[in-house]
Amino acid sequence: MQIKNKINMRITIAFAGLVLECWALYVVGASPEHWRPSMIVKDEPAARALYETMSKTIREAESLSYNSICSGPDGRASSYQIWLKKPNYFYVDAANLMKSSTLVGDGDYLWIYWQGSRPFLTFDDAESHAKTQLDVYIKKATPAGRNSIGHEIAMLGFTWYNTIFEPSTLHGYIDSLDSYIDGIRSRGPDDVGDQECDVIEVSYMDAQLTRYFWVSKQDHLPRQVKEIDRLSSNIVRVEEWSDVKLNSEIPQQKFTWSVPEGWRQWSATGPADVLLKSGQEAPDFDLLSADGGRIKLSGYRGKIVWLFMWRTGSPSCREAMPNLQKLHDKYEGRGLAILGFNYADNKRIAQSYMRENSVTFPNVLDSASEAKKVMLRSYKNKTQSVPLNYIIDSQGNIVDAWFGYEEGSKRASAALKKAGLQIEE
Amino acid sequence: MRAYELMKETYCRRGYIWIVHIVWLVLYGSFWWLFLPSGEEFGRFIFIWGGFFLPLALSAGIFGDDIASGRICVLVTKPFWLGELYIYRLLGLSLQGAVNFILAGCIVFVLHFLMRKGSTEDLGLWLLASWLLFNTCAALSTSLSIVVGRAYNSLLLFAVVVTGYFVVSLLMVSMRQQGGTGVLAGFIKYCWPPFELLYKFASGEYGKYSLTVGRFSVTKSVACIVHSLILMVVYSIVGIALLSRRQFSRQRD
Repeated sequence: MQIKNKINMRITIAFAGLVLECWALYVVGASPEHWRPSMIVKDEPAARALYETMSKTIREAESLSYNSICSGPDGRASSYQIWLKKPNYFYVDAANLMKSSTLVGDGDYLWIYWQGSRPFLTFDDAESHAKTQLDVYIKKATPAGRNSIGHEIAMLGFTWYNTIFEPSTLHGYIDSLDSYIDGIRSRGPDDVGDQECDVIEVSYMDAQLTRYFWVSKQDHLPRQVKEIDRLSSNIVRVEEWSDVKLNSEIPQQKFTWSVPEGWRQWSATGPADVLLKSGQEAPDFDLLSADGGRIKLSGYRGKIVWLFMWRTGSPSCREAMPNLQKLHDKYEGRGLAILGFNYADNKRIAQSYMRENSVTFPNVLDSASEAKKVMLRSYKNKTQSVPLNYIIDSQGNIVDAWFGYEEGSKRASAALKKAGLQIEE
Repeated sequence: MRAYELMKETYCRRGYIWIVHIVWLVLYGSFWWLFLPSGEEFGRFIFIWGGFFLPLALSAGIFGDDIASGRICVLVTKPFWLGELYIYRLLGLSLQGAVNFILAGCIVFVLHFLMRKGSTEDLGLWLLASWLLFNTCAALSTSLSIVVGRAYNSLLLFAVVVTGYFVVSLLMVSMRQQGGTGVLAGFIKYCWPPFELLYKFASGEYGKYSLTVGRFSVTKSVACIVHSLILMVVYSIVGIALLSRRQFSRQRD
């Protein structure tokens, strides 16, 4: 009897330990997708007012300067020293460890230059980098209110982590995410350094993306922003602000830069420059589809294919999907196949998005590295930007490729016509 | 009384144990004094030196010495369960670790008070994480000591951890393109001493880079502590099983 009790006790302890360990592993390692429905925020008027006050304070400011450190859980961080002034002036020093890049906006143009040799950018190859690493600058037009400093930094890829809060907000730039806010709620007070802050949580696109803002009670400006992007795994980034100065006097010379003697203008290769060109064969792939089967591109020979690479967290993709569905409904029997391609999202998130939006055209939904390789290497989308469109003719050759989506785009119509589709005007 | 004797034995079994404690405390103090580190820098230092190297130094030959000298044959004739021998030795080590970390904390607080410099921010959390890591490493080392002769258990564990992490890092880089890193990373993360989990727990990354607002995520932190303790228990169970098995084989001889 005593032995039996002893055995029972051991089994109970082992079972309790196992349950505890399962719980611990679940909490530490489980996909946060499990908690996603509870992350969709319901609007709280007080929190929304706080968010609007923060935005208004920045939009109405004459000038703003701050230091920002953007980091991720891998321990890497990029730092930015930012000066902004109305109507369209800016100066940004962006640095990774010892390498720094400077962006100057003189009101009309953006100038990017480097002290010493320039860093290796996303689309550099060793040869072109060697030829252009010294005494070069980039010059671009910067239309006020339509230029995103954050986007410029991201496209060149010279920092590890980009700013979460868009610096161009002061110049009137409107973040495309703003129209996708689910709700804003308060998360109570918290201190960042010596600043007393109110924390607000903003969720976008059914909590596909969540941002937390630590808003200073003193000047209504953010001191910390945390962003959680729920892709196939969560990507968490943090931006910390310090040395914040609102409406301080910034000398105009800060926003001017004259080209030193001997320097030459240089155009960095952009993501669109490296896409597959017209006439090239579209690389074949055989990947998992949204319905659990497989999709092989070569299986669409004889049809014109609009290969659309997307993810649920992109506002442009969300805008595109219903329109592509309409195209699919209209032209499916006339030789056009719309083929979605999503490797970035958690499968369940993408499936529920497709269900909710009645997307029925075939979609590759595969988060395995093979799908990522197809996107990055075969289809040359090195920055993993979306939406990316490829029009492929019935012989399997590329007709055109471009980033972005615009309803009724002339480029898309021209490419489809070129591929041989009879389009109703 | 038996428990006290067995635990005391872990302090007195080798002369150098006191020296190790003193050297380690001097190291903590010197590091703080010379470099005036931030809370996190000091935390990282104590996490590696106290959480990983200290248990190796203290547990070297904890069973191996007795096995090599034949004293184990005397010990196993005592009228108590062999598991007790293991548990009290491990508890002795754990207690040594706790005392060491408490003293380390005191030294830093005294230095901080005297110099009015540096930072003690989140030190308590780093000390707790270091102690938890200490316990898992001590359990693993103690279990190894049963199968590895003399004091080589610590050297072996050190070599395995260092080369293991080096090889795994290389594999992770080379396998990143082919996929399949998940299983390997999961194995390292959850079956080995929880370096990564406890580091994240102490540095506040679970709060900073987690789904929750605020610096620390209480649920994840508790889960880290639970996982670390369970890992220690699992290593200990393996050790006790090995010890019991070895005893039986000796009796058969």
